[in-house]
Amino acid sequence: MSNILEVKDLNMQYKTSEGFVKAIQDVSFDIPEKASFGLVGESGCGKTSVAMSLLQLQSDNAEITSGSIVFDGTDIVQLSEQDLRKVRWFGISIVFQGAMNAWNPVIKIGEQIREAIREHYPENSKDQNTEIILDLFNLVGLDQTVIERYPHELSGGMKQRAVIALALSCQPKLIIADEPTTALDVVIQDQILKEIRKIQNKLGLSLLYISHDIAVIAEMTDLMAVMYAGRIVEIGKTTDLFSNPKHTYTKMLLESTPSITGDRKTLKSLEGEPPSLIDFQEACSFSSRCPSPTKECKDGSISMKLIELEDGHKVDQCCYRCLNE
Amino acid sequence: MENNIIKKSKLTTFKQNFNRFKESKIGMVGLVIVIFFGFLAILQPFLFFTGMWDYSTYHPVLGYDAVPYTATVVECPKEYPTENYNTRADCPSLNEISIITLRPFMPEVEIGDKVERFRQPAPPSRSHILGTDSLGRDVFSQIMEGSQVAFFLGLLSATLSVFISTILGSIAAYFGGIVDAYLMRQSDLLLMLPSLPLLFIISAFTELKVWHLALVIGILGGLGGSVITIKSQALQVKVKPFVDLARITGGSRMNILFSHILPNVAPLAILFMVFGVTGAIASESVLSFLGLINLDMSWGLMIALSQADGYISAGFEFWWLVVPAGLSVTLLAGGFYLIGRGLDDIFNPRLRKR
Amino acid sequence: MARYVINRFIQMVIVFLLFLVLSYLLFDAIPGNAFQSLLLNPDLPDYAYDRVVELYGLNDPLLTRVQNYVVNFFKGDFGYSYLQFPKTPLDLIAERLPRTLMLFSVVNIVAFYTGFFVGKILAWKRGSKAETWITITSVFSYTIFYPWFALLMLWYFGLKLNWLPIGKFLYPEKWYDAPFDSDVVFVEMIKYTIYFSLLFFLINIFTRNIESLKTRKNIRLYGFFSLLALSYFYWNSSGLYIMKPYAGDIAYHMILPILTVTIVAFAGTALLTRTTMMEVLKEDYILTARAKGISQKRIRDRHAARTALLPVVTSFIFTIVTIIDGAVITENIFSWPGMGQLILDSVLREDIPVAMATFSFIGIVALIAHFVADVSYAFLDPRIRIRNQG
Repeated sequence: MSNILEVKDLNMQYKTSEGFVKAIQDVSFDIPEKASFGLVGESGCGKTSVAMSLLQLQSDNAEITSGSIVFDGTDIVQLSEQDLRKVRWFGISIVFQGAMNAWNPVIKIGEQIREAIREHYPENSKDQNTEIILDLFNLVGLDQTVIERYPHELSGGMKQRAVIALALSCQPKLIIADEPTTALDVVIQDQILKEIRKIQNKLGLSLLYISHDIAVIAEMTDLMAVMYAGRIVEIGKTTDLFSNPKHTYTKMLLESTPSITGDRKTLKSLEGEPPSLIDFQEACSFSSRCPSPTKECKDGSISMKLIELEDGHKVDQCCYRCLNE
Repeated sequence: MENNIIKKSKLTTFKQNFNRFKESKIGMVGLVIVIFFGFLAILQPFLFFTGMWDYSTYHPVLGYDAVPYTATVVECPKEYPTENYNTRADCPSLNEISIITLRPFMPEVEIGDKVERFRQPAPPSRSHILGTDSLGRDVFSQIMEGSQVAFFLGLLSATLSVFISTILGSIAAYFGGIVDAYLMRQSDLLLMLPSLPLLFIISAFTELKVWHLALVIGILGGLGGSVITIKSQALQVKVKPFVDLARITGGSRMNILFSHILPNVAPLAILFMVFGVTGAIASESVLSFLGLINLDMSWGLMIALSQADGYISAGFEFWWLVVPAGLSVTLLAGGFYLIGRGLDDIFNPRLRKR
Repeated sequence: MARYVINRFIQMVIVFLLFLVLSYLLFDAIPGNAFQSLLLNPDLPDYAYDRVVELYGLNDPLLTRVQNYVVNFFKGDFGYSYLQFPKTPLDLIAERLPRTLMLFSVVNIVAFYTGFFVGKILAWKRGSKAETWITITSVFSYTIFYPWFALLMLWYFGLKLNWLPIGKFLYPEKWYDAPFDSDVVFVEMIKYTIYFSLLFFLINIFTRNIESLKTRKNIRLYGFFSLLALSYFYWNSSGLYIMKPYAGDIAYHMILPILTVTIVAFAGTALLTRTTMMEVLKEDYILTARAKGISQKRIRDRHAARTALLPVVTSFIFTIVTIIDGAVITENIFSWPGMGQLILDSVLREDIPVAMATFSFIGIVALIAHFVADVSYAFLDPRIRIRNQG
């Protein structure tokens, strides 16, 4: 099965009045067709920046300094705005974090979805588009009256479903879901997640699921990567990472999730805060919080490149060395 | 409750903000302009004080200087063009004078005589950078005087207006209820009144000098529409949890008002103040121009005089009477506005680059 | 929605009453009265002045006078103009109003569209060099010293280039044997402008629901041109054919004032649009629109500008009041005998009844403008509209 998305050595930085913030450093991952890929990490680790860069929607002060993003055979980073517009939504679409605000408050929902379809399928008639929208709504569980409604007339859950419908409207090959259920209550969250999974299987799409909630990643994804301070620290099959986490950070993430079954344990949490991304560090960026750092971790004599342990399971060298000492 | 978690000194915050302000090209342009005119305003008393200029020649209102020149008396022909002149407008030319003009005053004069005349208004020269006006007064001095008036008037009325509207707006937001309703209706009433006709009427029954005008513009501005905007801003603060927190911990009402609401409203207030200066300068100029206020000298007055004397219809021949004053009003009012825009870019985080 | 409207309306009436009383007191504070200059003439017998003062009730206590004034106002009785007796203030207003209306309605429309258009582009091109310089230019045209600028325009286009007339609103020579009064012509022109704008507005509304962007734009363009063609026939029809040259004359005189005021006025709208647009551009739904692959231009016009339209339109309605200030100066400089000149004159020459009537009139207009602004904002923003319905 070929890869629908190949990200190689991506580096992105933001220009601020205090310096360059290196939001993404040497990030590489591949997403095969029809697979779902999870990206997990704490706030500020760069996951959303990665998502934005896939659609080349990063903010004006952001700059991709090196690397490539190859989607379906084409390097998106090199594309002109004209060509990018064709890829957006038609090739890759996104369900945003805080999808509540994704809707323009003065335009009806139906019209906003139509707009997307019109852009990529200009020959469709109005009725054809209505058909399409009705099918989508069926899929996500929305009533057809929603077409004529304004965003503020819908509940949070309905808006979220509508956003998913919007993301599917042009039959993209890859959908990015950036924390789509953060603002919803657990019941709805569960429903939405199930729906996304169902749709993905039915339509044969690839999914990039971004979250800080490792439990959701476990449920939703086949492959996953853990990000910390702009780098990927561990990547591999979800089952592998959960059963056999190699990176200290991954281990701590897993241990910090409470479990309903089993004995009551004291939750472990991670001390400290992620480092500032402004100054480029050679050293392991996790070393300040690692419970057992070695001298080499902190002084930067280890390269941060990932090494492969078993089939597809990669981890950054620093922690691998820790583990094997 | 003291905020002592991370205490940045006020100076570094100011420096940070100033750096941000520097980034805004618009704001910097405005600042440069304002500083320039401020410099002019200070320059004049300085020049007088150090004796570089003497009062009799250079005083903007009472000074008098006339440039003497010798003119030849000519008779303007009835038909044009002739060998000396192309059109009627060319005769008499710069160093000539028509015999018809002179006859009533000097009946014995003949064509070809040379007479001593004084040129006023005089074009710019070494002693008068911007020339003199029709009464022999130095134009540059007038501009500087006008600058003083503009700054004084603008800053005074703007400060007053912002002071009033901030307090009223905060009170309206905080107390709500009847107080709010009353203040809103009062603002409505004032918004409704067309300011220019109102100022006409007020000028009709009081003699408006700079102080009075500043007061009037200030009070009218303060009670007007800006109260509504400040109130809505203050309201946003009021509903924030920390205000409730402050109340729970026992802060008195006044305390809350000052330490929480006001600082949040402050950026908006400063913005209003800067824009207020623009408005005040513009209003004063217009009123002077229409002859409704009694100032000794201001830019509006300069234009009014030029127009009354008909120099504007002469176009750019007497440019120094027409251009500097109008340009000054435009530039200074615009300068303050640009500063306001620059400040807006800093203060309004929503407008910062995505 | 209806409740909101009624509520607002009642408030409006109350404020207006207050306004009336206030304006009376204001005028009353002006020392002296018009009769002093007219009647304190030593050649007239002593009792002439006293008698007139008695007759006009100028010595009555304040309360009585205020009462009288307010009551008379609602009866429509404004007294007589002191200086243009026997015309009543209403006559004068009726005479002058169409002139001001004509001039300033066109000015407002032109300035608004220009301003909105420039503002849209400014916000979109944020941070570029062009943006900085265009903004600075806009600011200076906003703050330009208006009388000075108007005079310069007048001089340049009128005297130097001789392209446009210097003042007034018509050439008296051309109207010597005109079968109409200028007022009639003005009324016709206003009617025409209203028809034109209304039809164009309707076209825009009816084409709102057309699916394809291209056809929508084309239909509107064709609509505009067919309206222009219709105008040609309209003015050539029987009744109006004779009026054409006169209307043309007035229109010719309107060009320079419109040009001047537009240059000064568009900047205000442009800057406001720019600010509002910039705030809107931060919103998430703009990001969504970009992600959908929609062209920049369409995002700017359909999403950002549409939402930015709300506050801009409402502020525009508020600026109508400021336009009145502008009208005074404009009419003064261009010698356009309209409402602005009326109020200036009447205050300067202490023609109190006229001054008060015009002042009240302007107050009503301002109030109505506010009212319309509030209601239309509630209407335009579907969030408020639906909330009030439900």
